[in-house]
Amino acid sequence: MGDRRRSRRLAAGLVATGLAFGTAACGAGSDSAGGDPNTLEVWTRSNPDPAATYERVFAAFTKKTGIRIDYQPVINFDQQLQSRASTKDLPDVMINDTALMGSYQSQGLLKPIDPDSIAGHEQITAKSWSSTVGIDGKHYGIPYSRQAQTLMIRKDWLQQLGLKAPTTWPEMLRVAKAFATRDPDGDGKADTYGMVVPGSAQNGYAAWWGASFLWQGGAKIVEPDGRGTYKAAMDSAAAVNTVTWMKDNLFCGDNAVTQPGALTAVTSTATNFQDGNAGMYLTGPYNIATFDQTLGKDKYEVVPAPAGPAGGDVLADGENIYFGARTGKAKQERALAAFLISPEGQRLAMTGENQPVVRIPVNSRLDAATVRDDSRWSVVQKAYEDASQQFPNAPDFAPIKQDTADSLNAIFTYCGSDVRSQLGELNETLDGDLKDQDLLK
Amino acid sequence: MTATVTTPAATTPATRRGRGLTKKSVVPWLFLAPGLLLALVFKFWPMAKGVWLSFFDVRPFLGDKWTGLDNYTRVLTDHRFQDAIGHTLVLGIGQSLGAILLGFVLALLLEGQARSLKIVRTAVFLPAVTATAVVGELWRLMYYPTSDGLLNSGLHFFGLGPVQFLDNPGIALWSTMAMGIWIWAPYNMVIIMAGLAGVDRSLYEAAAMDGVSLWQRLRYVTLPAIRPALGIVLTLAAIRGLRVFTEVYVLTGGGPAGSTEVWMTRAYTLGFTRNDIGGASAASVVLLCVTLLLTVTVNHFRKRGDVR
Repeated sequence: MGDRRRSRRLAAGLVATGLAFGTAACGAGSDSAGGDPNTLEVWTRSNPDPAATYERVFAAFTKKTGIRIDYQPVINFDQQLQSRASTKDLPDVMINDTALMGSYQSQGLLKPIDPDSIAGHEQITAKSWSSTVGIDGKHYGIPYSRQAQTLMIRKDWLQQLGLKAPTTWPEMLRVAKAFATRDPDGDGKADTYGMVVPGSAQNGYAAWWGASFLWQGGAKIVEPDGRGTYKAAMDSAAAVNTVTWMKDNLFCGDNAVTQPGALTAVTSTATNFQDGNAGMYLTGPYNIATFDQTLGKDKYEVVPAPAGPAGGDVLADGENIYFGARTGKAKQERALAAFLISPEGQRLAMTGENQPVVRIPVNSRLDAATVRDDSRWSVVQKAYEDASQQFPNAPDFAPIKQDTADSLNAIFTYCGSDVRSQLGELNETLDGDLKDQDLLK
Repeated sequence: MTATVTTPAATTPATRRGRGLTKKSVVPWLFLAPGLLLALVFKFWPMAKGVWLSFFDVRPFLGDKWTGLDNYTRVLTDHRFQDAIGHTLVLGIGQSLGAILLGFVLALLLEGQARSLKIVRTAVFLPAVTATAVVGELWRLMYYPTSDGLLNSGLHFFGLGPVQFLDNPGIALWSTMAMGIWIWAPYNMVIIMAGLAGVDRSLYEAAAMDGVSLWQRLRYVTLPAIRPALGIVLTLAAIRGLRVFTEVYVLTGGGPAGSTEVWMTRAYTLGFTRNDIGGASAASVVLLCVTLLLTVTVNHFRKRGDVR
C-alpha cells in the first residue's frame, strides 16, 4: 500500500513538473502578438457609439500612412490597463482623461514626449501644452480634446413657466424649485425635478460634478505653492461655505430640487434629463449628441453655468494622447499623434452621426462652432477658454478625487453632519495622499 | 511527459510493488492533467501572484518595492476597511441565513411531482441563473425612490412612503440584503429539495400515526434528515457571504456615504480607482484567509455533527 502511494506521488510530481514547463512555454509565447512594427495597438475609453467615430478616424489614418491600427475601445479602461501593466506589455497609444496623467506617470506607464517631435505641434496653444507637463517638468501627453461643463436646460419648460435661464446660484435654485413644483410638463402630476446630479462616490463622480461648484464658490481641492509641492485646501472658509450651501439647498432642502436617487447615481444611471423629467443638468458637451437624439434639439438649450459668489468657473477636462512605456514603436506613434491633432484628424473626430470624440479642438486653426455649424458649441468653447479650471495635472489625482468624492457624498447624505469638521477630516486625508506622493509642502 | 507514458509498463506483481512508475499510477494523473493545467494557470498561479504582490508597493514599470507587512497594517488600520468588515459581516450573515430560511420554505412548498409544481419551480429558480448585473438593474427600478417605483407604489397604496430604499444610509444595506436573499434562495432551494427527496417516507407516516404537530414533524423528522444538504448549503453560504461584491457594486456602488461598502468593493476601489494594487492584494489575501478559516470551521462542525 505504501509503495503504491509512493509511486502515485512520484507520478503526481512528474505531471506537476510537466505542467509547469507547459505553462512556462505558454507564457514565453504570449508577447509575440504585439511584434508587427507596422501595427499600433490603440486603446480609448469609449462606449460603442463614440468608438464608431474613432474607427472612422483610424481608418483615414491607415489609408493615409499605411500604418495599421489594432483599435480596442475599453470601457473599464483602468482595470484593464492595470492587468496589462502587470504583464509589462502596454498598448502603444492610449487616449484617455487628462486627469489621469499624473496617475499613469507616477506608475511609470508613459513615455515622455518632446512636443517638437510631433509634426504640427505649433498648432496647439501653449496653454494646452502646459496642461500635459508632469511633476518632473517633462511632457507626458499630447492634448487631443478639451471641454468644459455647461448647463443644459429645458427651453420649453422655461417658456411654459415664464422664466429665464439662471445666471446665478440663487436664480438656479429658484428655477429648480419651479421645475419641481409648478408642473412644467403640464401633465397635472408632480413628477418633474429641478436638476440632475450624479452624486455617487463611485469612480469619484461626486467630486467630478461638485468641482464646478467648488470653483464657483472660490474653493480649491489642493493648492500648488509654486515650488512643485501642494497642500490640501478643503478646510478653507470658501470650501466650507460652498459645501454648506450645496448641502442645505441641493440635498437637504426642499424635495425634488435634485432627482430622486441622486446620491447613488453615476452618469450612466442619471438619465432623468434625457428621459424628460428633470430640467437642468450641469455636464459635459459630449451629451449634446445624445440629448439631440433622445430629447430633441428644440427642447433644450446650452447656457453657461450659473455663477457662484466667486465667479462662473467650471471644471474643464478632456483627453490626452499617451504613449505606452517601452513599446518600441516611437516613430509610428508620433505619426498617429500628428494625424490626430491635425485639422483633418480633429475635424473627422468632431463630426459624423456618432458621438464626437473631439469636443473642443486643441488645434487652434479650428473653431468648434464653425466646424459643426452649431452655435451651441461656441458656448462650450467660450466656457473652456474664459471661465474654466482643470484638476491639477501633475500629481496623481486619482486618490485625491476619490477621497473628495467619498467625503462630499457623506456630507450630502447625512443632513445633520457638521460640514466644517468633516471637511477638516477630508483635508487631513488629502494631505496624507499628497504625502504618499512626496508632494506635501 | 511523453517519456513517462512510454515507460515499459510493469505487469508483474513484484514490480508493481516496486518504486518505479506504473501505468496504473500515471494514467489517472494524465486524465487529470488538462483540468489541473487550467486550474494552475487560471487559479493557483494568479492566487500565488496575488499573495506575492501583497508584500510590495506595486509599480510594474518602475520596479516593485518591497514593503513587507506595510500593506496589511495599512489595510487593517484603515477605518473605512473596518467599517466595510462590519457591513460585510451583517450582509453576509443576514443574506446567508435569509436565503437558507427562504430556500427551505420554498423547498417545502414546492416539493413534489405535479406538473404545475415543475413550472413554478422553474420560475422560482430563474433569479439564480440571471446575470447579477441584470438583477441589480431590475431591483434599482423596483427600489426607485418615488411612488413611480414598484415597491413605493405598493406602499403608496397603503398611504405609506415613499421610502428611500437605496439613498437612505440606514436602509441601503438592508435593501441590498433583500436582493441577495432573492438571488440565492432558489439556489439553496434546489439543494435542500434534493435532500428532501431522500427523506424516508415511512418516517412521515410513522410520525403521522403518532399524531405529531407540523412543527414537531419538521423539528424531529425533516431537519435531521436533510442535515447533509443543510451542511452543503451552509458551507457554500459561508464562502459566498464574505466574498459579496457584484450585488453591492451594481446596486449602490458602496454608497451612500459608504453605508453599503463591503470588503471586496473597498478592495476594488483601492486597486482600480486608487491604483494601489499592493493594498488591494493584501485586502484580498486577508479575505482569503478568513474565508478559508470559516470554511474549515463550518466543515469541522458539520463532520462532528455527522459523527454524533
